[in-house]
Amino acid sequence: MRLKTFREGEAVLFTLPALVPLLVFWFGPLGYIVYLSFTEWDFMSPEKLFVGLENYTYLLTHADFYQALKITLLFGLGTVIPIIVGGLALALLMNSKLRSTGLFRAMMFSPWVTPTVAVSIAWSWIFEPEVGLANLVLGWIGISPVGWLQDSTWALVAVMIVTVWKSIGWSMVFYLVALRNLPQDLMEAAAIDGANAWDKFRGITLPLISPTTLFLSIILTIQSLQAYDQINVMTQGGPAGSTRTLLYMYYQSAFESFNVGEASAIAVIIILICVLLSGLSFLLSRRLVHYS
Amino acid sequence: MNITESRKVEQERELHRGSQRERSSKFVPVGERLGRTIRYALLALISLAMAFPFYWMVTSGLKTNDEIWQFPPTFWPESINWSNYADAWNSAPFARYMFNSIFVAVCICAIQVVNASMMAYALTHMKFRLKGPFTAMVLVGYMIPTTAVYLPSYMILNELHLLDSYAGLIISNSVSVFSIFLLRQAFMQVSHELVEAGQLDGASHFRILWTIMSPLIRSSFAVMILITFIEQYNNYFWPMLITKDPDLRLVSAGLRGFFVEGGAYGLAWPQIMAASAFTIAPLLVLFAFAQKTIMQSVNMSAGVNKS
Repeated sequence: MRLKTFREGEAVLFTLPALVPLLVFWFGPLGYIVYLSFTEWDFMSPEKLFVGLENYTYLLTHADFYQALKITLLFGLGTVIPIIVGGLALALLMNSKLRSTGLFRAMMFSPWVTPTVAVSIAWSWIFEPEVGLANLVLGWIGISPVGWLQDSTWALVAVMIVTVWKSIGWSMVFYLVALRNLPQDLMEAAAIDGANAWDKFRGITLPLISPTTLFLSIILTIQSLQAYDQINVMTQGGPAGSTRTLLYMYYQSAFESFNVGEASAIAVIIILICVLLSGLSFLLSRRLVHYS
Repeated sequence: MNITESRKVEQERELHRGSQRERSSKFVPVGERLGRTIRYALLALISLAMAFPFYWMVTSGLKTNDEIWQFPPTFWPESINWSNYADAWNSAPFARYMFNSIFVAVCICAIQVVNASMMAYALTHMKFRLKGPFTAMVLVGYMIPTTAVYLPSYMILNELHLLDSYAGLIISNSVSVFSIFLLRQAFMQVSHELVEAGQLDGASHFRILWTIMSPLIRSSFAVMILITFIEQYNNYFWPMLITKDPDLRLVSAGLRGFFVEGGAYGLAWPQIMAASAFTIAPLLVLFAFAQKTIMQSVNMSAGVNKS
């Protein structure tokens, strides 16, 4: 019995070096922020005032919050879907019977390793309204120039473009792995049965790569909820709040307006959205995802 | 060699055989050959478009201020002004910023190698009552948007008197759920019999972990270290929040400071582009050398959801 307890102790000892920071910087703050969302505090006053649900009712009755929620949703859809669909399309283009695609793969993947701040600065120059490359390209296809980062309808699109550019190659590599693991005999059997390319794609490829799609959609959704660097560099939430996501609103109310309670309430809502979406995708995955 | 690796080798062999077969059969239908050419052209075009912002960054950094404001822009600089790079490098302490980023990233990698592998080993090859809850905790940690808890983390760091210090930058990033995941995945592929054999020889778990198990999952360690390094070198939001001292700025925060302050905003674009270019250069070089390992991270993290 004593020996067993000793062994348990040793195992717990092994987990401590990771467990302590995990509790202090991940799970501790998680509990702390729920508590903070029920208080009012400005970083300065000695006491945190308990205000119950006031922060939440304030948020839910103000248009700013719904605007940020809408932007978050648009940004999420406008980045997750293109990254997944585009990544799959690139992988399909690259997968079948082409040799020496290594260089292409590396070029498409490379944006993923580079710092978001530096590439966002470069893209800000590309989106320069007077002499920028983006308007030149629009001109080539006969579209009149737009104000990009200075225009409240186009700023969000510009931020989305940078985000998609950064991750599309990454999602492509996921799909390349998934496609390479497809059972070839199944494909050949389908071909013998007279299935055309589209049938094979819908009937075999798509269901068999669904675990990858599920994984990517969860990870990318969480990432889109956390997007900060590109927004901070390119637009700082503007113009006129047109790129202010919930996360950016959270940052501004915490570290610019020093409104700890309200910021915490926004954060709790972001976390709830995450939990809800992850739960939903797991439920969906039971019915739709095929694990071989 | 673990299972994923051997599977890969097999696939490579398979691919090789496939291409040999193709080459030996001389007859390729014209339609297929045409399709292939179109695909190559399309891929080349997309790849160039994807890499173009990098080219634009480097060449814009070589232009004069007059030339950069021309429209339509020149695709190759009329005169090469390397002095922009020197100017940018000297107008802010970029050497210091880069040192900070690399130093902090290396320390974090070193700590994570130790704590992630001990945690992963305990979760896969040791028996204890809290194993289930701990595993669940790591799994849940993967789903938490960390940026959402930066506010309380900041307050905790403040209580610990770790704001504005290297220690704070390192300790607050000293654990990564991704790293634990990756190594757990790797350890699960190693037979438990090795642990039992080690124990019969009287080796402690600590020795088994470092002398028997770790060498077997070297490739996972390589992936983990590279990904952690890239992530930390690029890290911006959190380090910026917890440091006010300009001497402690990581390279992204330093670059962004150069972009906004110093009257550079929108005025000295060639210097700004030059600074962006030398900030990303170390990573593109690293990527060029360790491409395969970095892209392998995808292979390994893809298994995360199948645990």
